Amino acid sequence: MSGKSNMKFLYAGIVVALLLSALAPFLASPDPDGLESAAGGVIEESKMSELEEMEPAVSSPMPDYTIEGMGKSGEVMAIAAGTIAVLVISLGFGKIFNKKA
Amino acid sequence: MHIPDSFIPLTQAIVYWVITIPFIFMSMKWAKKELDEMKIPVLAALAAGIFAIQAMNIPIGMGTSGHMVGATLVAIVFGSPWAGVLVLTLVLLVQGFAFGDGGITTMGANILNMGVISGFVGYYTYAALRKSTGTSIAAFGGAWLGLFISAMACAVQMYIAGTFPLVPGLMAMGTYHLIIGFIGEGLITAVVITAIAKSRPDLLEDSFTARPEKSKKEAHA
Repeated sequence: MSGKSNMKFLYAGIVVALLLSALAPFLASPDPDGLESAAGGVIEESKMSELEEMEPAVSSPMPDYTIEGMGKSGEVMAIAAGTIAVLVISLGFGKIFNKKA
Repeated sequence: MHIPDSFIPLTQAIVYWVITIPFIFMSMKWAKKELDEMKIPVLAALAAGIFAIQAMNIPIGMGTSGHMVGATLVAIVFGSPWAGVLVLTLVLLVQGFAFGDGGITTMGANILNMGVISGFVGYYTYAALRKSTGTSIAAFGGAWLGLFISAMACAVQMYIAGTFPLVPGLMAMGTYHLIIGFIGEGLITAVVITAIAKSRPDLLEDSFTARPEKSKKEAHA
């Protein structure tokens, strides 16, 4: 592996990830995912609505990748923020664990 | 396949955390041993890309969608399923805490399914297939099977939790994830691995699943 071209790999990865973040709110299917869809099919309706009403254990700042009152642009920003957060955490994590530097 | 808090009772959710924590610990040991200045940018790029692609749900019909998980892809690139566990742990942490995608109590189960089970099954299936089928088909088969088996595990957990009935749960999860695994996991993993094998074979050659050409090239060098 050459260090220089791995930085290129990183930059290419960032571009692809941000592009996906910008497109996902418009292109991603709004249909429930496999687990949710299975739940809708196999759980009795009364129990399902009970499960749906239960609050998550910890409330999140941007539930379902949305920013309140900001519509699609909020979704783009939420997903982009998540992408950048994962990037920064990975790089930080790498720094901590890279004892060979 | 992100399990919300309400789908698993707290005591069982804790059990999945207890099972999963040693795997997370081992993935950190892998990171400590393997990560260097060359590998960190690749790891970060893959982690960011996987977070973003998990937001891109693909319609699979039957009013259902699904997205890539990515543990097999990361495991193949780094030649170790621990890399997949590590990246999925980071991605699921951000998804759970910032976006409520997957519960916090159920994060142990989610890391177990999507990081550990899909990554290990996917990677070792790839490793077993690649000599006879070549890299692309092995990557496809590994990623597909990895996702399918992790969905089966999820269905069993849902049964133990008293949330799904066993057989209908397995049937529904199996049907949806066979399709999601084919498109969302298998095809994307195969395309990315094939592209990396063509443009940056040295990235894959770093691992013990290196293609046989590696030793030849090095012998010439």
